[in-house]
Amino acid sequence: MSSYFAELLQYDFMQRAFVAILVITPLLGMLGTMIVHKKMAYFSDALGHSALTGIAIGVVCGVMDTNVSMVIFAVVFAFLLNQINRKNLAATDTIISVFASCSTAIGLAILSRGGNFSKYSAILVGDILSITNREIFYLILIFAVTLVFWCVAINRLNAISIHPALAKSRRISVRLVEDIFAIIIALIVTLSIKWIGILLINALLILPAASSRNISSNMREYHKYAILFSVFSGLIGLVVSYFTNVATGPMIVIVASIIYFATYLYGRSQ
Amino acid sequence: MKKNKSLFVGILLSAIALVAFGSTFFIFEQKQQNNAKTELKVVTSFYPMYIATVNVTEGLDYVHVENLSEPETGCLHDYQLRPEDMKLLSTADVFVVNGGGIEEFLTDVAAAYPDLVIVDASHGIVGEDDNPHAWMSVSAHEKQVQNIAEALAAIDEAHRDSYISNGGAYIEKLDALAVQIEDLKQVTQGQPVVLFHEALEYFADDLGLHVVYTMDLDEERQVSAGEVAEVMEAVKKNNAAAVLADETYGKEMADMVADNTQARAVYLDPMVRGEYQKDSYVIHMQANIKAIRDNLK
Repeated sequence: MSSYFAELLQYDFMQRAFVAILVITPLLGMLGTMIVHKKMAYFSDALGHSALTGIAIGVVCGVMDTNVSMVIFAVVFAFLLNQINRKNLAATDTIISVFASCSTAIGLAILSRGGNFSKYSAILVGDILSITNREIFYLILIFAVTLVFWCVAINRLNAISIHPALAKSRRISVRLVEDIFAIIIALIVTLSIKWIGILLINALLILPAASSRNISSNMREYHKYAILFSVFSGLIGLVVSYFTNVATGPMIVIVASIIYFATYLYGRSQ
Repeated sequence: MKKNKSLFVGILLSAIALVAFGSTFFIFEQKQQNNAKTELKVVTSFYPMYIATVNVTEGLDYVHVENLSEPETGCLHDYQLRPEDMKLLSTADVFVVNGGGIEEFLTDVAAAYPDLVIVDASHGIVGEDDNPHAWMSVSAHEKQVQNIAEALAAIDEAHRDSYISNGGAYIEKLDALAVQIEDLKQVTQGQPVVLFHEALEYFADDLGLHVVYTMDLDEERQVSAGEVAEVMEAVKKNNAAAVLADETYGKEMADMVADNTQARAVYLDPMVRGEYQKDSYVIHMQANIKAIRDNLK
């Protein structure tokens, strides 16, 4: 049995993957609660897709580290979405969908120039095994920022999501809090996208929170279970993918989905 | 109610964990048993290298040859590393790669294992610019086989003679193909053709074909209308005799061009995947030669 765990931790890439999972998953679980609560699932999905455009812009401008252009573009994109959202021009989901499709198309158009898209296809499914120490450091940094924001703003965010007008009357700066929240989502989504993949990042944000919502009866439980489910799916997914030789991201999402269906059935039976 | 819930979560998570750990532990145990230590483990980066290496190490039972990417992966352009591959590389003694940049990041990974000897099969081959598909030229592939044989002979001195003689025997088989290509060249020399796969450039070169246009149709490739028009234009203007394509990715485009112009569509195997048999290279190259012989007159 001990040789089993020794084998798991024998390689540097696996050790780093474990650390990365332990940092990313609680973060995604935490954010997910609010995203599900505020019905922003579409929003975070659009952000994930915007990563393609970010990379494309980076490639066109000759930026060495496409991470930078990706993050900058996602932040701008999130900000823009929020602005347009407030104008109430049309149904929110339509606007977000339009923006997401548009930015995905631009990204694909630029990246596929000259038939080179296959170079970037890794970003669609992600690759947690190639994470470096430096990138883990960035993740820890953003983890700390999010934690601070969470402690300061969770009650305000909650108030806003329940009733914006009421929140305003309690002197909460709705705009500011919403913008900061959107920017944090943008940062986390783009920073973790290389490891989880554009196609799956939203699943990891939404599934643990949605599962937790199925069974929890108050805010505290909601957060607790979301983080627990998220970390659990991450660790189990990584271990199973190691031994069964399948990509890690999809395995994690499969575990998270199983939890979702189980909690759904349990929640209904109560 | 509250207690019930924690109990439910606890049971759910332990059940999943139990299944996950249980099944992977079982896999792990099985693998441990299968890991009977071979003395020399050679990992190859992909299909043509695997076939060449298997031929060079023929009859040497204690040499264990394994291929990195699975047959479905095809060309290494969009290859995803899996944990299994990292493990395989970490236990390997020798890593045979095609070189020329096709294994871009695999070589990086291998650099992380300093003890691993990397054999660049394309060493000393003067190829097309930016085109690593050297195995598609029989003569270049002979050189690759020789490189692999010499490299293995240098690493495993004790069996030097076996590698060299295996390599020589295999090169003789390849020579038979080279002779046919040389014969065919009298017919094909200078004929204008259009290629739908980069890899075919080497083959076309061996035959002395005059390549008027190359479009690299690859997995995930999206073709723009402008490019299609360009191909048509090139085919008509140069009076191209044939469109050479591989069946998986180029079929639709090649058929379309063949229907609309005087050129014939000829399907060749770029040998980036296939069945794992010793004679695969010879069989497929023979089929390629036949396809050319039947269609170009």
